[in-house]
Amino acid sequence: MIKLAVYGKGGIGKSTCTANLSAALALLGKRVIQIGCDPKADSTINLLGGKPVIPVMNYLREHDDEPRSLEEISAVGYGGILCIETGGPTPGLGCAGRGIITTFGLLEELKLFERFKPDAVLYDVLGDVVCGGFAAPIREGYASKILIVTSGEKMALYAANNINSAVNNFRDRSYAKVRGIIMNRRNVDGEEEKVKSFADKNGLEIAADIPRSSDITKYEDMGMTVIEGDSGLEVSKRFISLAQMLIDEDNE
Amino acid sequence: MNLTARIISVYAADISGVCSALYEYGGMTVIHDASGCNSTYTTHDEPRWYDTDSMVYISALTENDAVMGNDEKFISDLCDAAGKLRPAFIAVCGSPMPAMTGVDLEAIAFDTGNRTGIPSFAVRTNGMHSYISGAGRAFESIAVMFSEPAKKSDAFSVNILGATPLDLSLNGTLGSIKELLRANGIEVNACLGMGSSLDEVKRLSAAHADLVISSAGKLTAEYLLKEYGIPYVIGIPFGGKFSERLTEALRGSAASGKCTDIFKECRKTGYDIAIVGESILSSSLAAALSLEKDISARVVESIGDSDMSVLLDTDISAEDEDIIEKELERSHTVIADPLFEPICRKPHFIRLPHEAFSGRCFSKEIPNLIGTELDKSIEKVKV
Repeated sequence: MIKLAVYGKGGIGKSTCTANLSAALALLGKRVIQIGCDPKADSTINLLGGKPVIPVMNYLREHDDEPRSLEEISAVGYGGILCIETGGPTPGLGCAGRGIITTFGLLEELKLFERFKPDAVLYDVLGDVVCGGFAAPIREGYASKILIVTSGEKMALYAANNINSAVNNFRDRSYAKVRGIIMNRRNVDGEEEKVKSFADKNGLEIAADIPRSSDITKYEDMGMTVIEGDSGLEVSKRFISLAQMLIDEDNE
Repeated sequence: MNLTARIISVYAADISGVCSALYEYGGMTVIHDASGCNSTYTTHDEPRWYDTDSMVYISALTENDAVMGNDEKFISDLCDAAGKLRPAFIAVCGSPMPAMTGVDLEAIAFDTGNRTGIPSFAVRTNGMHSYISGAGRAFESIAVMFSEPAKKSDAFSVNILGATPLDLSLNGTLGSIKELLRANGIEVNACLGMGSSLDEVKRLSAAHADLVISSAGKLTAEYLLKEYGIPYVIGIPFGGKFSERLTEALRGSAASGKCTDIFKECRKTGYDIAIVGESILSSSLAAALSLEKDISARVVESIGDSDMSVLLDTDISAEDEDIIEKELERSHTVIADPLFEPICRKPHFIRLPHEAFSGRCFSKEIPNLIGTELDKSIEKVKV
């Protein structure tokens, strides 16, 4: 099974990349679960025609009780992708990291993997590994590979470096390993050289090179991924290539 | 109100269950918790603490350690202690504080095992579940880690699963169960919990069937069924007739390779008597009363973590004091730990202390009801 966590600086395009990768995997015939691990709870919205699923934390807050079934906290989107959002506590209160752990515990109790039997699970995680909760998706039993999304912008590379360092700190723990970088271009000067330099310095591969494309925005405005909108576009082909690479690696 | 106890006590928590389950195996059990809390898990909940040594420790977690995520300090302390004590294994479990900060105890155990070369594992606890959950997971962990494929014993033999003083006390009940089995031509291959050793855990697979005497043994029974095809029977041999049915069921299961549920055929369900507590112990007592005195009895499972598969139609699982109080009004006689008596309005209240609920308060009163021993107490039961 493909078990992937996607990290990167806030606003760098993690959710866009994750949703498109999920859509590409589904297009290639895989059964996919995408779990948004961010209080913003907008990871899967473009897989669901712009109609958001109720986040798990929202459910807990509104019902003051745990959900009894997966159906109450999930929605099926494009290509049969099962969409789940952890959500977060009341803004300014509670503990978002703990919310992720609570959600994972709940999904385990509801036997998510046993029931859905996915070929791929993608975790779209908030910007940085700020505490134990946000490292939960890369713990043993969850993701086994990590993709870091970055552009050539200084702060995006800074965040990517922090994430890579945090993962390296866990090397004795049987956690997920960084598989590579998704270069999500912002068309800044010398972008490719800057990202390549960071990748080389840290022994990482640029697993995908996603061009800046107005088509992504166009289709997101319509509540869909670019894969769903037009899988023949160049930007779509890049996501499909990445998905195929992950499938091939999983088959090895 | 939900999950509220105004008058009655609460059951021992999952951490106490881990300590109790692993007490005699020569391992080091370390609870990631603030200094001083060991008294709750062992000196209060563990009657063996006073005459039997065991390596149960607290990590002395501080506020700074929790906030800063000082896992390395904990791992270093574990390695240091293990280097000096050379335990057979290292088990780590968590209290509410690490549960809230999301400490990855599995990763800490993995790292500690790699550094020390000593088998290490984490038992998932957070102090918010009952002793059954903790003991059950701890038993399952050592079965998974240490049991080995073995040739079946020549003589018909069984494993006794789920023996902790939290359910059985130290009143000779376990010894009587073993004697009763042997008197019926059944050898005890291994006993998980009390009077046990890692050698017994290693040879678990040599048994022909498992006898699950408490809910804490159920996870291990499921594991042994899946891994080695050993069928199980659930029940404690209370009373002569129920004991006979139980031993017959063990033989039947061993022959067929299938688990046997004997409660449906042995129990007369109804509301004459309410038996409050852990589901397997209570169901066994209900079965014995049905067979010996033709009394209908219902089980009021009051822990929330017990094995629910043994409950029958008139039984109920209720953790809330308000609900238990109302449910007890439906029966003429109530059998329960003495700490339930203040919420019981019925004149016939039979005291049956349960160590996991009232600790050592009434431990001298806990009767040994194995086999025909039940007959000595049964005259008290009036409906």
